Amino acid sequence: MGLVRYTLWRLAQAIPVLIGIITITFFLANQIPGDPVEIMLGPSPAQEQVEAIRARYGLDRPAYERFLNYLAGVATGDLGQSIYYDRPVLEMILLRLPVTLYLTVSAFVFAIVTAIPLGVISAKRRNKPADHVSRIVSLVGVSTPSFWIGLMLIIIFAFYLGWFPARGLPLPWASPAEVRGAETQLQVLLTSLHHLAMPMVALGTLQMAQITRIERSSMVESLQGEYVTLARAYGVPESTIVRKHAFQVAQLPVITIVGLGLSTALGGAVLTETVFEIQGMGRLIITAINNQDYELIMGTTFMFGVAFVGGVIITDIAYAYIDPRVAYGDES
Amino acid sequence: MTDPLLSVRDLKTQFFTEDGTVRAVDGISFDVYEGEIVGLVGESGAGKSVATSSILRLVDSPGEIVGGEIEFKGETIFGLEEDAAGDLRPRDEMLSESEMRKRIRGREIAIVFQDPMESLNPVFTVGGQLREFIEINRDLSEAAAKTEAIAMLREVGIPAPESRYDEYPHQFSGGMRQRVLIAMALACQPDLIIADEPTTALDVTVEGEILEMVQELQEKYDTSFIWVTHDMSVVAEICDRVNVMYLGEIIEQAEVDDLFYDTKHPYTSALLDSMPRPDETVDELRPIKGVMPEAINPPAGCRFHSRCPEAREVCREVHPEARDLSAGGEAAHTAACVKHDAFDVGYEESPAIETEATGGFSAGFTETGGGAE
Repeated sequence: MGLVRYTLWRLAQAIPVLIGIITITFFLANQIPGDPVEIMLGPSPAQEQVEAIRARYGLDRPAYERFLNYLAGVATGDLGQSIYYDRPVLEMILLRLPVTLYLTVSAFVFAIVTAIPLGVISAKRRNKPADHVSRIVSLVGVSTPSFWIGLMLIIIFAFYLGWFPARGLPLPWASPAEVRGAETQLQVLLTSLHHLAMPMVALGTLQMAQITRIERSSMVESLQGEYVTLARAYGVPESTIVRKHAFQVAQLPVITIVGLGLSTALGGAVLTETVFEIQGMGRLIITAINNQDYELIMGTTFMFGVAFVGGVIITDIAYAYIDPRVAYGDES
Repeated sequence: MTDPLLSVRDLKTQFFTEDGTVRAVDGISFDVYEGEIVGLVGESGAGKSVATSSILRLVDSPGEIVGGEIEFKGETIFGLEEDAAGDLRPRDEMLSESEMRKRIRGREIAIVFQDPMESLNPVFTVGGQLREFIEINRDLSEAAAKTEAIAMLREVGIPAPESRYDEYPHQFSGGMRQRVLIAMALACQPDLIIADEPTTALDVTVEGEILEMVQELQEKYDTSFIWVTHDMSVVAEICDRVNVMYLGEIIEQAEVDDLFYDTKHPYTSALLDSMPRPDETVDELRPIKGVMPEAINPPAGCRFHSRCPEAREVCREVHPEARDLSAGGEAAHTAACVKHDAFDVGYEESPAIETEATGGFSAGFTETGGGAE
C-alpha cells in the first residue's frame, strides 16, 4: 500500500471518530442546565415569543430528531445557525479560525525552532553545564501553565517596559484600513508580528519544553546506538554523525510529541486568547458556552475535534514517511 | 620475518567507574601480520571488545587507554612518553583524533560488529549506508561508490543487489545484514578488518556460510583479520594464530594447531573441554567451573587460579608473565602458567589448593572476593 492510499485510509478512519465526537458533544451540550432562549430574551419574556424562537431554531423538536437533523447538516457542510450571533456557525468559525491557526502555528514554529537545537546540544553535551541549563529551562517550561506565562509577559513587557502590546492580534493579511496605526501592508505585517510575540511565547513554551525533553532523550539514545559507533569506526565526521546518522533516527518520537502537541496547543489557545483578548476560536467557544449557544458549542467543538484528529493523522503519515519500518498498516 | 602490520604492546585500557577502576585490558601484547586471521578468544568480560575498540581509539568515557603502544604500518596509533616533569603525555608522532578519523578508521582498519540487527541505521537504505562509507574511505564520487557498493553486495552473496541496494535494513535477515556489514568492511579496502564476534548472533548454518565466505574473500583480497570470538570451533575453522584472553590478559598465544594439540595453559584446556570436538568422543562436556572474577579487583597471583583445576599455593602468589615455551626452531607459543618448568618458581613443590574447579567453592570464593565484598 502506497503512501497515498495509506493517507486516504487514515482519513476514512477519522469519520467514525468525528461522528462519535458530534454525538457526545450534542448530548452533553443539551444536558447543560438552562436554556439559550431564556438567556437571549432576558427575564420573564412572553410565552409566545419564547415558543416562536424555539420553533425558529428547531428547539421544540425532540432531541433525537434534532440530532439526526444536525448530523445530516454536518454531512452537507451546514453547521447550523448560531443563536447568540444570529449568523451561520460556519461563518463564525471561518472568521475566527485563521487567527487561532496563525497563533498556534507560530507558537509551534517558535517551539520547534528553539527546542530542537536545544535538545541536540543538550544530548551532545550530556551532563555538562549547557545540558543542565537546557534541562532546567525545559523543566520549568513543562511545569508552568501558559496563562500564567502570558500574564507575566504582560506585566513585564507590556505594563512595565511597554515593549509589546498586551491585547489583540491582527492578521498579517488584514487590510491596512482594519488595523489601527497601519497604512501599508508591510506595516500591517509588522504590527501583526509585534502583537504575535507574547502570545506566541506564552503558548509555545510548553511545547518547546516538551519537545526539548524528548529531543534530548531521543538523541542521547540514538547517539549510543551501535550504528553511530559503526559510523565513527568508519571515519564519519562527528558533525555528520550528529546531524545525519543520529538525528534522523531520533526524530521519530519527536514527531509523535509534536503531532499530539498540536492538539494540546489548540486547547492552550483557549486560555492564551482569553489572556491576550484575541478574537479566535478559543474566545468563540467560551462565548458559545456562556450563552448556551448549542449549535455554536457543537460547531466549535467539532472543529477542535477535526483539528485533533487531523494532528494524529499528520503524525501517522509523517511517521510512515520518515520511518521505513512503518508498513502503512498492511500486514498481508 | 617481515614487520607486523599491527603491533600491540602492553596495552592497558581502564574504565574509571564509581565502584573503582576496571582494568578491562591489562597489558596485552600481540601482532597481526599481513594476510593473517588472528583470533582473540575468551569468555564474556575478558576484555576482547575493549581491546579491539582500543585499536581504533574508540573507547568511550569513562574508559581510557592508559598505557602501552599500538603501531600500525609504522604509524603510532597510541603511544605515551614521559615529559620532563615525569608525567605521561602522548608522543609527538601519535596520530591525532582527526588523523585517526581520516587515515585509519575505515580506510586502513575496518570493523564488523557482533549484532547485525543494531549495526545498520534503521532509517537509511542499506545501499546508502554502504555507499556513504565507501565514498568517505576511498575518495570516490557518489556514482562510483554506488557501483562499487553494488559489486560488493554481489560479492558477499546478496541476491539481486541492484534492487536490494534501495531496501532498508529491516527488509534483510540477520545473516544478510551481517553480509552487508562484511561487504562494508571489505569495500573500504582496509589492510585489517576487526571482526568483533560477527557470527555470534547468527544461527549455526548461517554462521557456517559466513565463515566460508569470509575465508574465500580473505584469500581473494589478502586482508588481515582480528577475529574476536568465544567460540573455539570458529577459531579452529578460520584462525591462523590465536590469542586467548582471560580477565584482561592474554594468557596463551600460539598457532592454531599448537593451541589445540599442545595446549599449555589450563584455561585454554578448560575452554577446549567445554565445547564439543569432532576429533574426540567424550561422555559429557566439562564446563569451566565458577565465574570470571571482576576486573575491578582481579585476584592476586595468577588471575585464573581461583578456577584452575591445577592450582597450587604458588599460583596465589606469583603473577606469571607470558613466556615463549616453544622449543628452538618452532613457531612461538607463549603461555602464562607457572606449571611449566621455564618459570621455575617451585610449582612442583608447592601444595595444591582448593579452588572452585576442585570443589572448594567457598575457598575459591573468598580468594577471588578479596576486597570486593
